[in-house]
Amino acid sequence: MTRSETADPARNRDTTRRAALIALFVAITAIAAAYGAAFSKSDTPSWAPWLLAVGIPVALGAIMILGAARGREGIGSLKVPFAFVVVVLIIGFGAALALPATEGPLSKLWLGLPARAAIVIYGVGLLPIIVLPVAYALTFETQTLTAEDLERIRILGRERESQSHDNGAQAGLDKVRG
Amino acid sequence: MTALLQAALPNAARPAVVIVGILYFAVIVGISVWAARKTRTAADFFVAGKGIGLVALTVASVSVSVSGFAFIGGPGFIYAVGLGAMYIVLPAAVTNVMGAWVLAKRMRLLGEVRALITIPDAIGARYRSRLAQGISAAAILVGIVGYMATNALAMGVVINSIFGVGLGWGIWIGMGVTLAYSASGGILAGIYNDVFQGTLMAVASVLVFLFVLDFGGGLGAISRTILAHDPALLGPWGKITPLAALSFFFVFSMGSLGQPQAVHKYYMLRDPLQLKWYPLLKTLGLVLVLLLYFGVGLGVKAFVLNGRLPELASPDQATPALLLNVTPLILAALVFSGVAAATMSAANSFINIGAAIVTHDLPIALGRPVKNELGWGRGVTILIAVAAAITAQQSGTMVAFLGIFGWGLFASTLVPALAVGLNWQGATRAGAIASIATGLIVTLALETAAYLKVFTFPAGVTASAVAMVSSFLVFFIVSWLTRRNALIEIDPDVRLVMEV
Repeated sequence: MTRSETADPARNRDTTRRAALIALFVAITAIAAAYGAAFSKSDTPSWAPWLLAVGIPVALGAIMILGAARGREGIGSLKVPFAFVVVVLIIGFGAALALPATEGPLSKLWLGLPARAAIVIYGVGLLPIIVLPVAYALTFETQTLTAEDLERIRILGRERESQSHDNGAQAGLDKVRG
Repeated sequence: MTALLQAALPNAARPAVVIVGILYFAVIVGISVWAARKTRTAADFFVAGKGIGLVALTVASVSVSVSGFAFIGGPGFIYAVGLGAMYIVLPAAVTNVMGAWVLAKRMRLLGEVRALITIPDAIGARYRSRLAQGISAAAILVGIVGYMATNALAMGVVINSIFGVGLGWGIWIGMGVTLAYSASGGILAGIYNDVFQGTLMAVASVLVFLFVLDFGGGLGAISRTILAHDPALLGPWGKITPLAALSFFFVFSMGSLGQPQAVHKYYMLRDPLQLKWYPLLKTLGLVLVLLLYFGVGLGVKAFVLNGRLPELASPDQATPALLLNVTPLILAALVFSGVAAATMSAANSFINIGAAIVTHDLPIALGRPVKNELGWGRGVTILIAVAAAITAQQSGTMVAFLGIFGWGLFASTLVPALAVGLNWQGATRAGAIASIATGLIVTLALETAAYLKVFTFPAGVTASAVAMVSSFLVFFIVSWLTRRNALIEIDPDVRLVMEV
């Protein structure tokens, strides 16, 4: 245990979640700003879609981190697949926004689609499928749920159940006596 | 789904289609009789006794995640606007695994420690609040009213198309069959019918996709045809604006965390440790079912442009035109049964959730729990189904309006309070209640104003997106303002579930 952890363990434990919450709040605010800009009297400003292109991947990444963070260990090795997916989404949306529209009869096709479409369909739509569910399965025991975790929960559940039985029996006795 | 209503499917009543349709309904009846014999308690009725295996749960979950829109309206949308329509389904790459990380474990463990059976149950337990449970139940019920009427009408359209019995009878037959298995076998019948229906949808989707590729000479040849006539369709946003496409992605990715028909399934898994493979299997299943959405939309566009199919009367005719003019009839029969399966599967799930809200959540919120939940559950199931069928017989415009806000309403009312709240101990009861109320009010107000044409959204902005962003911000701000109460509002067992 490091010195800082000893000094303030609660604070240390929450670092990952706190960062994820801040990122989620900032991303949602950016998305709100993009929608707000669309209500302006002139045309939607060109920066508004960029706010969504960055804000949406960050919001999705942040909420996944919030769900996957496990106490003091944070998200462990999941930081790699999470970072990969957020970056892939930002690059995919960004490329679609930034690259010039060159689609035409002579366009070069990538796996059957013009370049910008291929980036979106195969990059945004397929790459995360290959990475995220596999990362979830590979880290399940260390990051999500162990047999010990489950047993702790089940013991607690049994305790609650017997407590409510006892309370019910006591209430019945009180009723008979009263 | 709305598009499905307006599609006015052509009459497909050919002998092969009718025979496959009859076989489909016979299997549904067989599964339902078996499930009815196994349903003995309210937990069996509402959460299948928490005894569903991994594969069955996965296929069932895929089945309820896909409505008739994926088979009819979706391909029509691609036909009309090109790849911009893909932003509705592209989030499937992340939503299943995101749901697993954010909700699956916590919901399943809450079910283990508290014997919970509904989503409002989870909200009530998390915030130790009957009001939060009641208001979330009311919000879900409002969404279900809309979805149910829309699904009932969609069922009528599809059954009329298969059997040629007329729309009114189609609604009553579809709802009658769904009701029979919902009321007798509850969610157990629903799950195993979903397994059958999901398998049917996946098989139909893959076969049609392969047929389209073969008929069109491959994806490259299909793209070449479209690029020669209308290259904007194959731009990264199709013919919609980047803001609109990205809005779809936002609402259908983040919003997936609040869809009760999918989230409710987390309670049902027999062994929580089996969650390990759930996202991978569900994502692969969804990809298979959605192949038709992509393939038919682009394929039919190319076939119309190069003259192999006549011009369509409306974009929603894309799938029916392909099936009735080009594919072997047996494939058409499978897809029409698949569309019926999609609508019935969604309807069953919503009926069951609605019945649980009326007989379980609302009485608890009012402090008057019902004693015989199973009996009342069956009764309310019948009432909801009949009410939906009667509503669906009314004006199509009104029913379409009811169906519009379902997804957005669930997303804006449930995502912050449930998905974030189960993973953040700093969230407060006041924050959750304010957020749910905001989602409900903003969605209803904006959708109604837009429907009555009092107000027009700028291009690319939807009521669902605005409502979801608003409820998120309210949730964060009110939780921060009331943060002193955060930790004392969480029971020790719920805290353990949140910390595991």
